[in-house]
Amino acid sequence: MFIRSVERDTSLDAFRAEVRDFCERELPPEVRRKQALGQHLERHEYDTWLKRLGAKGWITGKWPKEHGGLGWSPAQTLAFNEELGRAGAPPLVPFGVNMAGPVIYTFGTEEQKRTYLPGIIRNDTWWCQGYSEPGAGSDLAALKTKAVRDGDHYLVNGQKIWTSLAHWADWMFCLVRTDDGGKKQEGISFLLIDMKTPDITVRPIIAITMSHHLNEVFFDDVRVPVENLIGQEGKGWTYAKFLLANERVGNVEISRLEHAFDALNRLLAETREGGTPLADDPLWRRKVAEHEVNLAAVKALMADQLAATAEEGGAPTLMGAAALKLRGTELQQALHQSVMDVLGRYGQIYQTDALHSGWNGELVGPAETTGLVYEHLYRRAATIYGGSSEVQKNIIAKGALGL
Amino acid sequence: MPAFSSEERQLLNDSLRDLLADKYTFEHFKKLARAEDGDGFGRADWATYAEMGWLGVSLPESAGGAGGGATELGIVMAGAGRFLLLEPLLGTIVLGASAIERIGTPDQQKLLGDIAEGKLTLAFCHYEPDGGYARNFVRTIARRDGDGYVIDGAKAHTISAHTVDALIISARIGSDKGPVALFLVPRTSAGIKLSPAPALDGRRGAAVTLTSVHVPASAKLGTNDTDQMDAIGEILDRGAIAVCAEAVGAMAAVTQITVDYLKTRKQFGQLLSQFQVLQHRLVDMSVTTEEARALVHAALQAIDDNDPQARKAVWKAKVKTAQCARFVGGQAIQLHGGMGMTDELVVGHYYKRLALCETLLGDGEWYLKQLAAEVA
Repeated sequence: MFIRSVERDTSLDAFRAEVRDFCERELPPEVRRKQALGQHLERHEYDTWLKRLGAKGWITGKWPKEHGGLGWSPAQTLAFNEELGRAGAPPLVPFGVNMAGPVIYTFGTEEQKRTYLPGIIRNDTWWCQGYSEPGAGSDLAALKTKAVRDGDHYLVNGQKIWTSLAHWADWMFCLVRTDDGGKKQEGISFLLIDMKTPDITVRPIIAITMSHHLNEVFFDDVRVPVENLIGQEGKGWTYAKFLLANERVGNVEISRLEHAFDALNRLLAETREGGTPLADDPLWRRKVAEHEVNLAAVKALMADQLAATAEEGGAPTLMGAAALKLRGTELQQALHQSVMDVLGRYGQIYQTDALHSGWNGELVGPAETTGLVYEHLYRRAATIYGGSSEVQKNIIAKGALGL
Repeated sequence: MPAFSSEERQLLNDSLRDLLADKYTFEHFKKLARAEDGDGFGRADWATYAEMGWLGVSLPESAGGAGGGATELGIVMAGAGRFLLLEPLLGTIVLGASAIERIGTPDQQKLLGDIAEGKLTLAFCHYEPDGGYARNFVRTIARRDGDGYVIDGAKAHTISAHTVDALIISARIGSDKGPVALFLVPRTSAGIKLSPAPALDGRRGAAVTLTSVHVPASAKLGTNDTDQMDAIGEILDRGAIAVCAEAVGAMAAVTQITVDYLKTRKQFGQLLSQFQVLQHRLVDMSVTTEEARALVHAALQAIDDNDPQARKAVWKAKVKTAQCARFVGGQAIQLHGGMGMTDELVVGHYYKRLALCETLLGDGEWYLKQLAAEVA
């Protein structure tokens, strides 16, 4: 109890100021404008900004120095994400920095580290996650995409689903089955696949947001060089779980929670009932205070996990990550529900055309509306992606409580 | 003595179910909702509803209606929820018809016949941008001008306001202290600016700005200048319970869809429906739906019985239904997993419709506050 602390570090004030100044100077105005309205960014718009962050080493600031990171403390990492959110910058894209990178520097060969890490540090490469399949969602280990050794290559056949940003990705980290016998966890391997390889088909899935973010990815005799295997063949489930713990910590994006909290407060100030701002309503003030308490609790759970990660050879624990993911995603949905409760007064307008560049129509209701409704809808998946809440509870039941 | 016997209600319910299951498929819904050049709903479907007698189900027989009460209207609205109907039922046969029936002159009552025949569609534009859900917040003003009125003001986004034949606009007569009256204004009148925008659930609508809109004296519903706030309250209550009935229809449908899905989806070597934790969740969805249905039914009954407590019964139903809709809609997506997040499944569309039902004409918190104020 109360053992590992995230130390309060007043020296971070200077770092925070540096991040703020940098965002002020370097965040492209168009990105800032679109982010404020909740509009979708194009890949090139993300790229411009992320490459500037990457040149400072800030995308991977929390990585250990020996792998090209800056060795930031947990407190510094939290401070960085907070300042990004406050500056109106888009949150980092997690697939390289939180997922592929740590697996590669923890389990990969020196050659693999040299090949893949610089692209993540500088944001020269975009990654996507080949995990879920139509028959393997909650039961991820039931995956069927097959990789069969053929000389210096694996021949990959099968299908992945819910692949965020596969249409932008240069690379995929992919779980494949290399052995059908034995326990289903034991025949899984972890492959890195170049998305430009022939015979990979990416098909869009339109989500309830009415936007394209998710995809299906089909592999039809796709040839992947053997040197793209991470670690040992058949040990992929170990790396997959390591990645999942990181993913689940990453699912709780403090900067997004703060953005939603701030947006709620702005809407409450802007929206009137019977001529009086909702912000003056004691029931709404109570609700906001409740959100603030829960936000503090989630930040505290997050600090625990970051402290665990910062220790020598440390990583988030499956148990701790599960608890954080449960509470963090519940709060995210609760915040966005409150936002919707306010927006109900404007008729729950959802002008999906306004999400896209170059739309010049008339916005009805508060300018942020469309982006916020999008977030509300998209974050219904927060308790599904990265392992559903039900799966997180099973992990805690089994692992922490021994049930 | 209810206007319809139980057998007649069953027939009404079954005719809605059978016809809509056949004609108003999910594909049909998507086609109507997304047609770039359409109204966002089906004109031909509207004509069918008229033929089937659904539009006039609760209108007086003298106006060509079936003389049903609130309960019969509830049956139609539950069908609208079950099949995600896009047509302007709430504005036309609930709020609009209720306003004309309650306040209209004998001459204006003739419009009820047009409603029953499907020849008149309406949007009830009462709430205002700075009013939120407050019912008595009317800043739109109708100044006398010769034989008629000139109306200025703004109304919040209202479903189907962009395309219906006429808008019913609430306005204070003379000044911001004047009595509130309702005006029936053709949508295409000079001075009306419509700012169209789709709602979350794909139904289209518009916010309305009125600038020096000239209307004849006959546009005002009723003849005298007494304040109509009480009648507007009753009209909105009628709308609120209709929205609740719509939500109950949607909840029942999406709960069944979720039960069916869990009986087909296998993970960890067994059907999802065999996991006890998920069975209990489905039970909670089912009980929640039943609870809302029972309370909405009780409120509809109270209205038809002229129970003096009917108003509070409606408010209670709206509070409970809003809570139930949130739970059932959210769980429907959760239990479908990633599939529930896709536009190609109907589940997400129920989620969105339920979100609208929660907030249209006031959310659960607002009605809870009204009940609390009466306790105090």
